[in-house]
Amino acid sequence: MATDLVPGVAPDTPKTQPRVPRVTRKSPARRLALLLRHRWLYLMLLPGVVYFLVFKYWPMYGLHIAFKDYIPFLGYSGSPWVGLKHFEELFTGGDFSRLMTNTLILALLTIVFVFPAPIVVALLLNELRVNIVKRSVQSLIYIPHFLSWTIVASLTYLLFSADFGVLAGYINDIFGGQRTDYVAQEEWFRPLIILQLLWKQTGWGTIIYLAALASVDTQLYEAARVDGAGRWRQLWHITLPAIRPAIVVMAILTSGNIMDTGFEQIWLMTSSLNRSVAEVFDTYVYYVGISQGAFSYGTAVGLFKGVVGVFLIVGSNWLAKRLGQRGLY
Amino acid sequence: MKIPKGRRLAAATLAVSTAMTLAACGEDEPKAASFDTITVMTRLFGTAPDPNGEMQQAIQKVVGKKLDITWVPNADYGEKLNVTLASNNIPDLLVADEKAPAFVQAATAGAFWDLTDKLDKYPNLKPASERVGLNSSINGKIFGIYRVRPELRSAVMIRKDWLAKVGLQEPQSVDDLYNVAKAFTEQDPDGNGKKDTYGLIIPKWPGFYASSSPYDTMETWFGAPNGWGERGGKLVPGFDTEEFIQANRFLKKWIDEGLVNKDFATLDSANWNDPFVQGKGGIIIDVNVRGTDLSVRMKDKNPKDFDKVTMVGNLKRSDGQKFSLPFTGYNNVVAISKQRIRTEDQLDDVLSALDKMQGKEGSALLSNGIEGRNYKLEDGKAVLINQDDPAVKIVQNDVDKAFIQLGTRASVGLGQYPFKYPDEPTQKLFDLRDTLMKEDLKTAVYNPALPVIAPTQVQKGQTLNLIVPDARIKFLSGAITEEQLRAEIKRWYSSGGTEVAQETNDLVSKLPK
Repeated sequence: MATDLVPGVAPDTPKTQPRVPRVTRKSPARRLALLLRHRWLYLMLLPGVVYFLVFKYWPMYGLHIAFKDYIPFLGYSGSPWVGLKHFEELFTGGDFSRLMTNTLILALLTIVFVFPAPIVVALLLNELRVNIVKRSVQSLIYIPHFLSWTIVASLTYLLFSADFGVLAGYINDIFGGQRTDYVAQEEWFRPLIILQLLWKQTGWGTIIYLAALASVDTQLYEAARVDGAGRWRQLWHITLPAIRPAIVVMAILTSGNIMDTGFEQIWLMTSSLNRSVAEVFDTYVYYVGISQGAFSYGTAVGLFKGVVGVFLIVGSNWLAKRLGQRGLY
Repeated sequence: MKIPKGRRLAAATLAVSTAMTLAACGEDEPKAASFDTITVMTRLFGTAPDPNGEMQQAIQKVVGKKLDITWVPNADYGEKLNVTLASNNIPDLLVADEKAPAFVQAATAGAFWDLTDKLDKYPNLKPASERVGLNSSINGKIFGIYRVRPELRSAVMIRKDWLAKVGLQEPQSVDDLYNVAKAFTEQDPDGNGKKDTYGLIIPKWPGFYASSSPYDTMETWFGAPNGWGERGGKLVPGFDTEEFIQANRFLKKWIDEGLVNKDFATLDSANWNDPFVQGKGGIIIDVNVRGTDLSVRMKDKNPKDFDKVTMVGNLKRSDGQKFSLPFTGYNNVVAISKQRIRTEDQLDDVLSALDKMQGKEGSALLSNGIEGRNYKLEDGKAVLINQDDPAVKIVQNDVDKAFIQLGTRASVGLGQYPFKYPDEPTQKLFDLRDTLMKEDLKTAVYNPALPVIAPTQVQKGQTLNLIVPDARIKFLSGAITEEQLRAEIKRWYSSGGTEVAQETNDLVSKLPK
């Protein structure tokens, strides 16, 4: 637990610089001197800060239309305030429980099936001893990542639809019975989404774990072998602990994205038949806000989603620290 | 693993970014008014015309002003319209669905000119039909010049050669049509020895309830109201009637028996013609212009033997009574934005220009093209010429896929001059439109609530609109039972539909008679 460094002090602080205890106040003159000494660093930081201010913080001003009946012609100032009306509509209207259920189920399935997949694949790849095989498998499984969701969705329709689906046809030949329209059925919606995610993202996700694996000291393995540890023991006692920080960080980032369920992917796979299981917050915001032009209501839904996302990321970071891991911050 | 501090900003802001994308629009001053150029936004069905192309030059000459036209692909139009309404760049002339919630809100807030009493002095702009004019209003107020369409466009397109092969007559009633679909599915109409054909082709329908879908058409044939109708002295939505259930029960039988394409819930409507032309399915219920369209496509496929499309109008129900589905008589309106056009004089300037555009010469340009270039007149009919010349082909495309969308007096299905097709079968289908329309108009079921839009519909449309169309498709596919369908209709009422119905009744009773 106590391995954490003092927060706010970078571990690689140059030795020449005197360590200032955090509690003591720096005098203004001293602050200025520090600022001047690192002026080039601050200058390099500037574009990033400006980027976040302009593209991430300034637009947040518009969020206040969630509390108004925003009519563009009247402008921000002219539209009347309505308090929490749109939030009430969201929570009391018929859509909320369905949206929440669908979003959470998809998120849960993602965490259970999609999140561990790159770890498993990375571990498998790591065991490969022939470098050329390892490299080519790696490259091959990256490729789907570069295809757009539109293409993935089209492929899915081509493979699984009732009328011309190739795979649907094979499945039908093997198991017989009526041809199933996999792309249109409620019960097949979630499995298809998860399959798409696995196919598209697993290879790409392995990058970060492979990088972590590459940094493991090989002497540890040698020592373990000398002590008579087999493959499984080495995996359990050396490899997994070594990449644990990477897994934790990825888990925290994933939990912050629980409410983001891949808008494009889901939007493209939605139809009247599966909407009741397919509609999630992301697609709903687009549908009510852009397709239906209910700007204020759409913003309210998006804001709610964002707030939940912030809580989730803060919560999982706290949890990670409680469990003795280093968090994101 | 070291994470830079900036990441926490990134991670936190990432989470709220979805909310913000909706709200990212500024409030600049509108550009200084200059009315040498009128900005326009309208629908597009192909590739956007060249602003310096022949068609645009010709139309600008008629209007006497430059036009700056934003062409928006039809499929994205609703979304682009909402985004445009939220921007500070509303074009002077905007083609809009006048009942779309965002447009209603903008218009009632004063973003567009109220044209109710202003059109009389423009001969080509004042409503040609009082009824259609009223239909295109928002609760009696006209916020745009309606783009005319034929008053009745519904029809059934059938494979003529298949009909002959299975030895059936053209259907007169819904039961006849069922028999045709059954025979198309089971009697191997394409004669390849395999049972690989079906009857009716239905695509994924992008619109809501009462949007002239094949489902809506079938319901009207069964006697359900078209949108809204009187039952027990007050107006009820069409789906709250027994006829609605009966029609869908009937259609469900088709689907259960495999007489309809299996992917009816997902088939992209842009590919609607494909199964018909490829010889998979043999019936389409849609607008009558699809008849000539299919005939032309059949001809493209096989120029020697293409007389394979026939068309019938609305069908009787089993007891012999006939109810026909009329259309609204218009499609969207051309609204005039107040953003740049601030004074009555400026409005008059723009309306005069628009009046010229919709005059005889302008209408012919917009709907037929440039006389002597891509068509010539023969007994008052337009005959296409020079179609092998690439430059002329561009003119023809620009007219058919783009400029015709600017016409309010002459437009799709109602060109300034009727077409004369080079071949007899297509010509017959074209002429048939008028005959069928006149016949079916006698039994047309009108929607008395067209001119009104309930405030609750504007407020809650986003949660209400999908309930019934989704339930309908789920019932048809067998995903839910009839009881569950009825329960969904009740859910429409309890989610705000009760208010919509009440307000619709009130608003209709206040309309000018």
